[in-house]
Amino acid sequence: MIRGFLDAWPLFGDSWLSLWLIALQLAAVGVFLVVRDRIFVGAAVAQSATFGIAVALCLGSEWSADGSFWRGDRFLALVAGAFAVGASLLIARGGGRTAGRRGAGSEAVAGFVFLAGSSGALLVIAHSPHGVDDVERLFAASGLGAAATDVALFGALAVLTLGLVVWRRRQLLLLALDPVTAAALGVDRRLELLLAAWLGLLLGQSMRLSGLLYAFGCLVLPGLIARAACPALLPMVIVAPLVGVAASVGGALVGQAGDFNQAPATVGLLCVVLAATWGVRALRRR
Amino acid sequence: MSDGAPLLACRDLAVGYGGRAVLREVSLAVRPGESWFLLGTNATGKSTLLHTLLGVLPPLAGRVERGAGFAPDRLGFVPQRVDFADLPTTPDELLRLGLVGQRLPLAVRESRIVAALADVGLAAQRHVDHGSLSGGQRQRLLVARALVRAPQLLCIDEPLAHLDLVTERALLELLARRQRDPAAALLCVTHQVAVAAHLATHIALVHHGRVDAGPRDTLLTPARLAEAYGAPVPVAAHPGLAGVRPLPPGLLGAVERAP
Repeated sequence: MIRGFLDAWPLFGDSWLSLWLIALQLAAVGVFLVVRDRIFVGAAVAQSATFGIAVALCLGSEWSADGSFWRGDRFLALVAGAFAVGASLLIARGGGRTAGRRGAGSEAVAGFVFLAGSSGALLVIAHSPHGVDDVERLFAASGLGAAATDVALFGALAVLTLGLVVWRRRQLLLLALDPVTAAALGVDRRLELLLAAWLGLLLGQSMRLSGLLYAFGCLVLPGLIARAACPALLPMVIVAPLVGVAASVGGALVGQAGDFNQAPATVGLLCVVLAATWGVRALRRR
Repeated sequence: MSDGAPLLACRDLAVGYGGRAVLREVSLAVRPGESWFLLGTNATGKSTLLHTLLGVLPPLAGRVERGAGFAPDRLGFVPQRVDFADLPTTPDELLRLGLVGQRLPLAVRESRIVAALADVGLAAQRHVDHGSLSGGQRQRLLVARALVRAPQLLCIDEPLAHLDLVTERALLELLARRQRDPAAALLCVTHQVAVAAHLATHIALVHHGRVDAGPRDTLLTPARLAEAYGAPVPVAAHPGLAGVRPLPPGLLGAVERAP
């Protein structure tokens, strides 16, 4: 298995590295969604990025010829990122019932964003040459086609993400746990918006390559595993990204050996580990 | 009453949600040595006022001012209710998170955590799973999380909600001890008129979209209470005060015995 993996490295190395870096950064941010019990937010924001990609595909095919910027990956990533950042901020600001605000509720807004993004993506692309298949393929993209520039982009995003998470871990945890107290104690509420915008940026950039299944899986499953396995919150901030990367490496190995798409292989692996962690925790509590 | 500079003050404040004011023209100033109790019936805006004073909610009009030298790191806050659900955490970790924004040497942090947990009777539970604590212990832990900041101003939202008698007594003893510190101030939202009668130096009666604020003895009278609550509040004898239901004997004894 290892030899086959190494032999394939020249061909798929950039894709694997990009997916590992995506897993690392999404798992690091996902911890705070898990602590706040806002898991579905990840799926909603990821789906809004799909909507953005569908819009970009539609615009690109209508407005320009092959080979132009408007039909390239960078334009897709830009529009996906804009949609995802907007959706994430909408959920964070519009849905908040915390701190005495009377919004619609984050679950309600997340549900709206998910369904609007899903239906919008399919409707926008329905009559374009790219068709519905392109959007549906985003559900479980394989990461294939990544280039060295993608590795550099996701490497830079991973460094910045880890820097933010480590630098402001206590403030972010308190905001996730108890936003009213955090605000009363002077924690800058803009930090919450920064995290929401950053989540949108990461998902917007990741979706084009990784697809919804991998992005959502790496966002929440490592955090859930860390939550079940760790004795305290702060260790979750370290454990979740490590679990995300380990599962992504494992998914690449399994995918290469069994000729599977890495996204379902990685997410399946994470689900098995989560089920096992829950089982062990249940046994310990007896 | 202290005549020092206010730690927290507001003038002509309007508070509410989404542009709709719940309270208007609120003016009060909390000084060192004062214990302010916000009283009123349900849904009159007590917690909304507290959240606005603390900067959690933006004021709709007017402004909240913090005294010179009074920073958020000198403030402790006990929310009405927080659900940490099934999260893996410990009292030790929650108190460390409560120290957010404070730059303290490690030894000071440790001693603060030990002292705060001891103050609420949870020293032995420092490293246990939060999920194993009882409801009363969790409420006391929230108080410890505020105390660990060595707050000059302690703000508490409904501190006695859902507490048993023993835990109530412990908490009231703690508040009574803090009252003896002339540099410390208290801002407390409660339904317990009797508790306010014993511990308050100042009262803010929240009713009918306004706040009547001032020294306890001018506001905690049968007539003012009846106006605020819309019905006569049960009256009982109390030193220096005509008009409120006394604490249960055990509680009253505990408060009065506090060193």
